[in-house]
Amino acid sequence: MKTKKITEYSSQELAEAYVFPVKLTAKQKEEAARQLLQARAKTQAELTESDKQTSRVLQLRFRLEDYLNGEAFDPALTFGHFLKEYVSILGKKRKVFADEISVDETLLSQFVNAHRLPPDYMAIRLELHSHNVIPAHYWYRLVEKQKEHEIKTNKTLRLKEMKFVHSRVA
Amino acid sequence: MNITETETGIKKGARISAVEEKERRLLTRKRFAFNWKMFGSSDKLFKLQIEDNEDILGVMNYIEMSDEKRIEIKLLACASENVGASKKYDGITGCLIAFACRSAKAAYGDLACVSLVPKTVLREHYINKYHMLDGGWQLYLEGAQMISLINEYLL
Repeated sequence: MKTKKITEYSSQELAEAYVFPVKLTAKQKEEAARQLLQARAKTQAELTESDKQTSRVLQLRFRLEDYLNGEAFDPALTFGHFLKEYVSILGKKRKVFADEISVDETLLSQFVNAHRLPPDYMAIRLELHSHNVIPAHYWYRLVEKQKEHEIKTNKTLRLKEMKFVHSRVA
Repeated sequence: MNITETETGIKKGARISAVEEKERRLLTRKRFAFNWKMFGSSDKLFKLQIEDNEDILGVMNYIEMSDEKRIEIKLLACASENVGASKKYDGITGCLIAFACRSAKAAYGDLACVSLVPKTVLREHYINKYHMLDGGWQLYLEGAQMISLINEYLL
């Protein structure tokens, strides 16, 4: 198929396919920066607290996504760590949030402080609470990632279990 | 994230990731309109591919202005067969711009911004198609418009 030259496309077709390089002079760059700053200040001023909260929950989702899709394991990034961040974004007291998802406050604290692994229902309730912005399986995979690291690296458990294995494949 | 096969209307799962060093030679001016070889290995280049297919359908370069909590798209191109009325796939540019929004959102939260300096004749089209706001010389996405684009193309 013969490829058309760029000049043969309509401006709409070009906007749907390209962002062209545009060279600005130093003065134009300065003017562009000032104008953008001004426009953004106006947009930011119009954001409600609810808009900001939606943005921050979405930010948490993406950070969770990046962590889950990455190879690295960070012992600090537990289910409890992200749950604590979620509650902090909401700007609610832990007791209020615990009531909203019908969990005892003490139990919620145990999840936050990584003293207890969360049951499956927690992931579902968190998904529902976030209006599906953070899917349940993200919370689930977070726990799985933690467990996977533990099983990969737990030398003590290996030593303990050795006595139960009486024969091995050649 | 999906793009649409224009002939059948079938949506295909797509992915965006960093262009690898060995793939840079594939970004020819003939297929991707611009001179992509001017970018060094430290420049951020991203490619869009259909899942389970290695062919690159779109490519983008952006720079991060972390002190302004902003990402500026400097260059973007769909592969030549995906331009114009007879394009094979639709939605590539939207996905790439939304990906820049996602990166900004992940880094800067509610203060995140994505901008570009448009060619004058294309301004209105970017505004209409990608919900961009008028910031003088630049067009930008922030707040509700940014979330709207992310929802439309990525989630």
